[in-house]
Order: sequence, then C-alpha cells, then structure tokens
Amino acid sequence: MRLKIAVLIAKFAALFSKRILRRSGETISGRVLLALYPRAIAELSKNKKIICISGTNGKTSTTKALVSIISSISKLGTVATSPSGSNLERGAAAALMQKSDFAVLEVDELHLSRVIEEAKPKVVLLLNLTRDQLHRMHEVKRVADRWARSANAAPGTLFVGDVDDPFVAVALNSAAQSKKISFGGRRHQDGAVCPSCGKYLKWVRNNYKCPCGLTNSNPDEIFEAGSAAFRNATMANVVGKYLGAKPIAVDEKSLERSVDQIHKGVKANIRLTKNPASWTEALKSVTGDNAVLIVNAREVDGIDTSWLWDISFSGLSGKRVVVCGERALDIAYRLHVEGIEAEITSSFKDAISKFESGASVQVLAAYTAFHELVNS
Amino acid sequence: MSQIKIVRIHNELLGTYGDQGNAEVLAFRAKFHGITANVVDVTYNDDLPTNGDIYLLGGAEDAAQLLSLEALQRGDNLNILHLAIERGAVILAVCAGFQIIGNRFVANGQEVDGLGLLDVISVPGDKRLVGDIKTTSSILGFELTGFENHMGRTILGPTAQAFGKVITGHGNGDSKYDGAVNGNIFGTYMHGPILARNPEFADLLLTRATGRKYAQITDPLALKYATWRRKVI
Repeated sequence: MRLKIAVLIAKFAALFSKRILRRSGETISGRVLLALYPRAIAELSKNKKIICISGTNGKTSTTKALVSIISSISKLGTVATSPSGSNLERGAAAALMQKSDFAVLEVDELHLSRVIEEAKPKVVLLLNLTRDQLHRMHEVKRVADRWARSANAAPGTLFVGDVDDPFVAVALNSAAQSKKISFGGRRHQDGAVCPSCGKYLKWVRNNYKCPCGLTNSNPDEIFEAGSAAFRNATMANVVGKYLGAKPIAVDEKSLERSVDQIHKGVKANIRLTKNPASWTEALKSVTGDNAVLIVNAREVDGIDTSWLWDISFSGLSGKRVVVCGERALDIAYRLHVEGIEAEITSSFKDAISKFESGASVQVLAAYTAFHELVNS
Repeated sequence: MSQIKIVRIHNELLGTYGDQGNAEVLAFRAKFHGITANVVDVTYNDDLPTNGDIYLLGGAEDAAQLLSLEALQRGDNLNILHLAIERGAVILAVCAGFQIIGNRFVANGQEVDGLGLLDVISVPGDKRLVGDIKTTSSILGFELTGFENHMGRTILGPTAQAFGKVITGHGNGDSKYDGAVNGNIFGTYMHGPILARNPEFADLLLTRATGRKYAQITDPLALKYATWRRKVI
C-alpha cells in the first residue's frame, strides 16, 4: 500500500473515532498507520527535523515546552508533536502524519532505540533516568545500555542531556555529537554503581568522578541548580537555541504536570507523581496543611508498589493526609510505619469530601489517577 | 533484650527493589513489643558491625550485586557473619541478596562464589519472572505474599530447606518453592517489601533474634493490609 493512502485511511480512522465513537482519537491514527504501513515513521521523518525527548520524568511537559519555544519564532517553520503523553511508536506516527517542518516527539525510554533508528532525529534530549516501573523496565542499567547503544549507532544525531545523571552521561559519552549540561551536580538514588564500568561510583558531595572517566565535572554548559521543572525547561531552551529559537522564560508551574480544579468548593492542586524521583520532587512542593495521595498499580503506574518504601514521606508529618486509589492500603501502611496516620477513603470524591469547602488541598496522583482526573 | 541492632547491608547497592523497607518494618514492629531497635546502614566501604541481631540484604541489579559480594568478602566481614550466625543472629536476604549468601550465582554473565551461608546455587533462567507471588511456609504457618522480579533459578542443596511452597508465582524458578532457610538464615525472592506485606514474619524474626516469645500485637492496619493482599493474590 502506498504511504499516502495509508495516511488518508489513518486520518479517517481518527475522524471516525472522534465523531462517531466520541473518543479523543489522538493515537488511533498512529496505530492504524503503523498497521497499514510499518515503515511509516522512517518515511514520514525524511523531510522533517525531528527532535526526540526521553527520560523517566518530565517527557510530556518538556515536549510541550520545546514546541512553544520553536513555535515562538514563526520563520523557523511549523511544529507537529505527539499527542500528550502518547510516547510509543503510534504517538510518533500520529505526529509525523501532520505536515510540518519540525516534529517534537515524546518517546518512552524503552522505545527510544527504535524511534531513533527509524526517524533519524536531528536532536535527542535525554532528561534523566531513575528507577521506574521496574516490572517493565526490569533494571535501570538495562535501559541505560539501550540508550548508549542507540547513541553510538546515530552519528548524525546531536544528543543533549543532563550529565548530573550518570545514566544520561553514559549515553552522551557514546554519541558522536553531544552537548553535556550540568546543574552543578546532584545525588542520584541509583548512582552507587558506575553505569559505564560497573565499579563503585565515587561521589564527592553532589559530583561523581569514576576512574574509568565517567564524570559530570566537564560539561559543555553549566547552569544554576533548580527544580526538575527548571532543569527540563532549561534543557528545552538549549535545544531550542541550537535549532535557531530564542530562549523563553522558564515557567516552572506549567512544567510540573499539575492542574487546579475545584471539587465541591475544595481547591485541589493535582500533581502527577509516578516513581520515587517524581514523588520526592512533588513532596517538596506540599507546603499546605492538607494532602491527598492517590496510588494505583496498573501497568503504566507500575504493578508493584515496593517502591513506595524508597520514598521518605516525613515532610507530610503534622499535615492532614487522606489516601485513596486502588492501592490506598499500600500507601497507608507505608505512611503508618513512618509515623504518619492517613485517613483511608474509597475514592477521590470521598477523599475530597473530607475537607471543608474553601480548603486548599494538594493532591499527588498516580499516573492513571492523574489522567482520569484531568480528563473527567 | 530490650534493644536490638538491625544491620541494613549496602542499601545503596541492594536497595533497588524497595527492600530497605524491611528494616523500617522490623523497627516499627519491635516498638510494639517494647524493644528499641537501632537500624544501622552499612555501605560498601564500611566493615560490618560485629554485634548485629538482624542482618538484611535486598534486591539489586547485577553490577551492584557483584560489588556487594566483593565488599562482603573483604577483610573480616564474612567471619563476622559466621560468628553472628553462631550466636543466633538472623539473616534475611531477598532476591540478589539471597543469591549472594548462597554457594554460587551468575551475574553479568560471570559465575562467582557466593558467601556460602545457605546451601543453594543460582543460575539465570531464560525468562524474567515478574509478578505477584504467594507462598505458604510450614515454618510460619501462614501465607506470605510479595512481588517477584528476577531471572534466577535457584537449586537447593541438602542442608537447605525450602522457605515457602509456591501457590501463585514462580519463586526459585520451578514454580514449586520459594527461597531457602537454614536455622535463622532466610533467603527469598519476595519483594513487597516482604516484611511490610507479612508483618507476622517480622515478628518471627524478632523472636528468633532475641530468643524471646512475644505476645501477639494489635496493629489493625497491618493486619488489614496483609489479609487483603493474601485474598487478592
């Protein structure tokens, strides 16, 4: 089948899904296209400048940030992007189907190799790599090894990333072209072993230096330390600058994957949290007196909840904490052992109803819970 | 004994799969029994304390597992563990830790001698075993639940006894048994962490470590959590 016909059918499928089935129709086009024309990603990438963004946390928000950075200079050209959070091949295909000069693709860590191979991107931005969904990733090192192999096999691609993360540094070291960014160093929960040589990694405060040569101490660009949102926005600007755009102001709030909603008069700030690194980051932002924690364990949340024990929740001590979600008991018991007694409720609605109208509540929500709340 | 020392071995290496929570649950349950627990973290460069009552090892990736083994074979560490076992100290080793305390295992394609504290050998299988696991153990008399995520196939020698009989999941790879036990040395593939999912097992370890029998404790949330997991797996 010719590519053009496959694209037409895929677009029709999306229209049908939206109009008749009343679904979002965002990824169906990509699915249909790849089923009809498996090499679509490679073909459709040929006349576009492709940028791939991957990492454990911050993919979706950084992708959005880079889209607005490139779009802010109209003479650069038009920009297409993957549907929000759709980071498998079908999301890439859906983005590439659109006519544009640029395509900014959010790509899942394990699917990055294949997308790089086919789309031959101009730039790959690697944000971070930490333990996440280990039932699927198995080991952090396994993902890092794949990244390094892909970087090595893509001499025409510029790899940009945060080398304060040793796993990102290994990938960048394997690339023919790289731009190493540092934010002055920071400790990494999975950073005890050098991902390059397997020796015990030597850290001096926030910086590491391995006898094998892996280090964050010789970056190409160094920025001040900041939140994860700040780091991601900064790296999006570095990529934007390379592509000819001007840096835009870092709006950390917009990069946090958080939304404000009002439920029965209760002001809820709902933030996406999905693994030890993102929970730890999100917990720092819980400054009010009220918190609702939602824990699920579906495929994309990670079907094992052992990682809740990697996180210190001590910052919630003294606050009113209500838990819900399919794994409310897992989080409740974890908090209990840390000396924090949470109220257990059966749904988000029940959790919110515990608070008076007018109260402000910070909600930390598992991936699937976040999407249900945002899309409802 | 109103004080107990819990030694968490190489948490920075053996902490990838959440097993560090075992130390926290032990200390928490100990408090209910009127015992003051002191959790000591031993890192790669440290020597093991000689006076630990419970030594804990957790799950890890291959390179980290090899580093932990190397550190435990360094200096007097292995001797310290042998002496600890002689005086009745408890060892709980999970997943990669379980393999480390066995006779032999394979990591990163390299076959190495383990610490030889449990009569088992582990080899990699052809498929990763990932999912919920439920076993029943004659030592405990109740069902245990957890989560497994490993490639290991563990074979027991004559002086090791299987820790649990598998009801759901794969355990040692044969889908029949999980883990191994010899005296106060326990090895298992169960994460969760295992003591969070099965707090009565924490009580048993405290009993073994102190040589005292404690009255049953009432912690409704712990019971609710453990019971629910046993029902759904």
